[in-house]
Amino acid sequence: MSATDPTEVFRQEASELFEVLEGALLDLGLRPDDRELVDSAFRALHTIKGSGAMFGFDKVASFTHEFETAFDRVRKGEIKPTQELISVALAAKDYIRALIEDPQSTDDIIGEAILDDLKRFVSSDQPVVPVAEIAEAPPVAPAESKQAGWHLYLEFESHILRNGSNPLDLLEDLCKLGPCFVVPITDGIPFLDEMEPEDCYLKWDVKLHAACDKDAIDDVFMFVQDEMKLTLSPLQEVEAPAPVPLFQLHDEEPAPVAEMPAPVAAAAAAPVVAQPIASAEAKSEPKSDPKSDPKPDAAPVRREEAKQDRGIATVRVQAERLDELMDRVGELVIAQARLTQLASAGSDLSIKMIAEEIERLASSLRDTTMGARMVPIGSLFGRFRRLVHDLSRDLSKPVEFVTSGEDTELDKTMIECLADPLVHLIRNAIDHGIEDTAARAANGKTEQGRIELAAVHSGAQVLVTVKDNGGGLNTARIRAKAEEQGLIAAGAVLTDHEIHQFLFHPGFSTAQTISALSGRGVGMDVVKRTIENMRGSIDLSTRPGQGTTVTLRLPLTLAIIEGLLIRVGEGRYIIPLSAVEECVELTAEDERSRGRNFLNVRGNLVPFLRLREIMSSSGSPDRHQKTIIISTGETRVGLVADQIIGNHQTVIKSLSKLHSDVTIFSGATILGDGTAALILDVAQLVTLAQSKVEKQHISEAA
Amino acid sequence: MNDVQTGERQADAMQVVMIGLGEEKFALDAGLVREIIDPVPVTRVAGARAFVPSVINVRGNVIPLADLRIRFGMPQLDNSADTRIVVIELELDGEPVLVGVTADKVYEVTEISQTDVQQTPRVGMHWKPEFIRFIAKWREEFVIVPNMERILN
Repeated sequence: MSATDPTEVFRQEASELFEVLEGALLDLGLRPDDRELVDSAFRALHTIKGSGAMFGFDKVASFTHEFETAFDRVRKGEIKPTQELISVALAAKDYIRALIEDPQSTDDIIGEAILDDLKRFVSSDQPVVPVAEIAEAPPVAPAESKQAGWHLYLEFESHILRNGSNPLDLLEDLCKLGPCFVVPITDGIPFLDEMEPEDCYLKWDVKLHAACDKDAIDDVFMFVQDEMKLTLSPLQEVEAPAPVPLFQLHDEEPAPVAEMPAPVAAAAAAPVVAQPIASAEAKSEPKSDPKSDPKPDAAPVRREEAKQDRGIATVRVQAERLDELMDRVGELVIAQARLTQLASAGSDLSIKMIAEEIERLASSLRDTTMGARMVPIGSLFGRFRRLVHDLSRDLSKPVEFVTSGEDTELDKTMIECLADPLVHLIRNAIDHGIEDTAARAANGKTEQGRIELAAVHSGAQVLVTVKDNGGGLNTARIRAKAEEQGLIAAGAVLTDHEIHQFLFHPGFSTAQTISALSGRGVGMDVVKRTIENMRGSIDLSTRPGQGTTVTLRLPLTLAIIEGLLIRVGEGRYIIPLSAVEECVELTAEDERSRGRNFLNVRGNLVPFLRLREIMSSSGSPDRHQKTIIISTGETRVGLVADQIIGNHQTVIKSLSKLHSDVTIFSGATILGDGTAALILDVAQLVTLAQSKVEKQHISEAA
Repeated sequence: MNDVQTGERQADAMQVVMIGLGEEKFALDAGLVREIIDPVPVTRVAGARAFVPSVINVRGNVIPLADLRIRFGMPQLDNSADTRIVVIELELDGEPVLVGVTADKVYEVTEISQTDVQQTPRVGMHWKPEFIRFIAKWREEFVIVPNMERILN
C-alpha cells in the first residue's frame, strides 16, 4: 500500500466528525437543555478546526473558529438553542463540509451570510473562548489577557499513556510558550504493589510566565482535551522573579519514569482512533465505525466507557481489504468442499479427520469474516434525521422521527445500497403519507406526524421498516390511476394488495401535483428494483387513516447464501434456499399431462415450469421428476428438476458482462468438484412462468 | 487501448500469442493474455448468446468462455490433446472483464512486425471486417489479428 494522502485522511476523519456534529445538533433541537450534546458538538467542531488548520485548510479553520465563537454562548448556557439557530448551525456545518470537500465550489459570501445569521441569533460580542473542556475556569475577560502569565492545573485521565499521549511532551510544548515553573503533584500515586504500570498518576501544577494567548495554551492540549482536566487562571501578580526557572522541565524527567515505563513505546504501539495525526501516521484507512464514536446522546457514564476502550477495541481497515478477504475465504470454502468430497470418496480415516477439521475451521473463518463486514445500520439511520428535519421544515409538517434497532448489523455493501431506497421511502412518507397539520387536526390526530424507522433481525433476514402515522394509501385513487394508465381494465376485480402493487410500476404516481420532492413517478420502482437486486423483497401494508408501513426484507449478506443444489439433465443449478417452500414429487399424472402445467398442492393450484425445457437439456428425463416449490412474495411456482442433490453453501460470484442478457440466472458459484454452477433467479423465473401462463391464455382465446 | 496500439506500431513489432482456430491462425495481442490453461469442465448457460455459450471456473473466478469459431463461422471441433483455453482480459464498457477463449491449438508467443501488416482485403473474405484489426504476414503465412472487443460485443 502506498503512502496515504494525509489530506484524504483528514477528509475521512472530518466526514465522521460531521456526522457526530449533525447528530448532536439535531438532538439539540429536541433536547435543548442537554449539555452533553452541546459539548459533543463543540468537541467535533474543535477537532475539525484543529486538524483543518494542520492540513492547510485555513478557510475551514477560520470559518469554524467564527462558528465556535458564535456558538459559544450556547455552550455557556446564556442562550437557548432554538430551532432557527439549529437550522443555521446545520447550514454552517454544510458550508464547512463544502469547504473541505470541494473548496472551489464555495463562495465566501455564503459563509459570511451564514456567520451573519449565526451572529444575529446569538448577538455575540464576547471574546473567543474556544472549546477545551475547561473545568471550573473563570471566564477570561479581554482586559486580563495581557497579564503576566497563567496558572495551570493539569490532571490527565489515568489511561492517557495507553492512548499514546505523553504528558511530558505536552509540558515541553508548554515550556516553548515561555518560562515555566512545573511542580508535579504526587498525591495520587498509590503504593508500589497497587500501581498499574501503564497508568498515569501524576498531576501537574504549572506557572507559565508568558503573556501568551489562551488559545496558544489550548492548542497545546488540543488532542488530549477529552482526556484531561485543564484549569486555567491568569496570574494576577508577578510572583517572584519568574523568568529564572530553577527547574527546567528536563530536570524532572528521571522522576516520573517509574510511573511511565516506556511512554515512547506506548506512543508507537497504541492505535489512537481519535487523533487524526496518529491515524495518518499509521496509514490506517478510515472505515466508518460508529461503534467507536461516542453516541451524542449516550449517558455520560457510557461515554466514559466508550473512551476507555476505543483505543484498543477498533482498528481501521480498508474496505477493499475486507472484500479481498471475503474472496479468499470464498475460495477456501470451495477448496474445502472439494477436499471433503475427496475424503468421503476415499477410505483413509486420517484424511477424513483432517477434512472435518478444515471444514470446521473454514466455516468459522467464514462466519468471522462475514461478521467483520457487518456494520450497524445506525450509521445509515443517522443520515436521515437531517433529511426529515429539512423536509418537515420545507413542507411545514412537524414530524417526529423515531429510530430503533440501530445496532442491527448488515453487510456493509448492503448498507451502502440501502441509502437511496430509504431516502425515497422517507420522502414519500413525509410528502404523501403525513397529512398537513389542518387535516391531522380534523381527523383528531396529534399535530405532529410520526415516522418510525426500525431495523430488526428475523431469522436469516433483516427487516427494515419505514412506518408513518399518516393517512394511509388511497386505494381508490391508485386504482383510478391504474385504470387511467391502462394497467388494468376498468371494473376488474382486484384485492387491495394487488392494487397497491401498482405503486411499484415504473412511471406511476398518484400525487396530484408534482412537487420538488415526489410525484414524478420515479422512485418506488427504483426502490423495488434496488431491493430485489439485493435479493430482498418489499412489502406494503396500510390502514386508511392510520398510516402506511413499508417493510424491506433483506438477506444478511450478499456474499454467501444457503442454496439447494439440483440437477437438470447434465447441468447442476442452485436455487436460493430462502425461496424454497417445499419439494414434492411430480406424480405420474402430472408428468403425463402436457396441456396443463398445474400442480395440486394440498388443494392449491400451483403452476409449474419444466426446467428441462427452459435449460433445453438433452437426454431423457429421469423417471421420477421432482418439483421444488418456490415463492416470491405471494406467487408460488413449481420448478421441475431431475434430481435434488441437497444443501449447498453457495459463495456467490457474479456473472460477467457478456452474460448480462441472461436474466434467469442471478449469479454463479463453484461446486465441490471445481465446476461452475449457475444460481437461478427465482423472481425472474416466476415472471417467466407468469408470461407463459398469459401467453397460454391468449392462445386459448385465439 | 488506442494509445497502446499506436505505441506498439511505432515500436514496429507486436508481441502476440499465436493460436490456431480451425484452419486459420490468429494472433492475440500478448498484452491481453493472462494465462493459458488446459480445458476444464464447462457449464452451459441456457439462453446466452451463441458465441459465449458457457462459463468456466478459473482460480475461483467464474468467467465466460467465448468461442471465436462461432463468430468466424468455423466448424466446432471436439476437444483434442492440443485444445487450450486462453484467458484474456478486455475492457468492455470501461470495466476489465476476464474471458476465456477456446483455441484448437496454441503455437507460440512471437512477434509480428508492423512492416508485414497487410491491408485487410475488401473482397475474398467471408468474415465480418469489423472483427479483424489487421492481417499480418508471419513466416510466409497470413495471420489474423482479431479485434476482441468487437467480437465479444
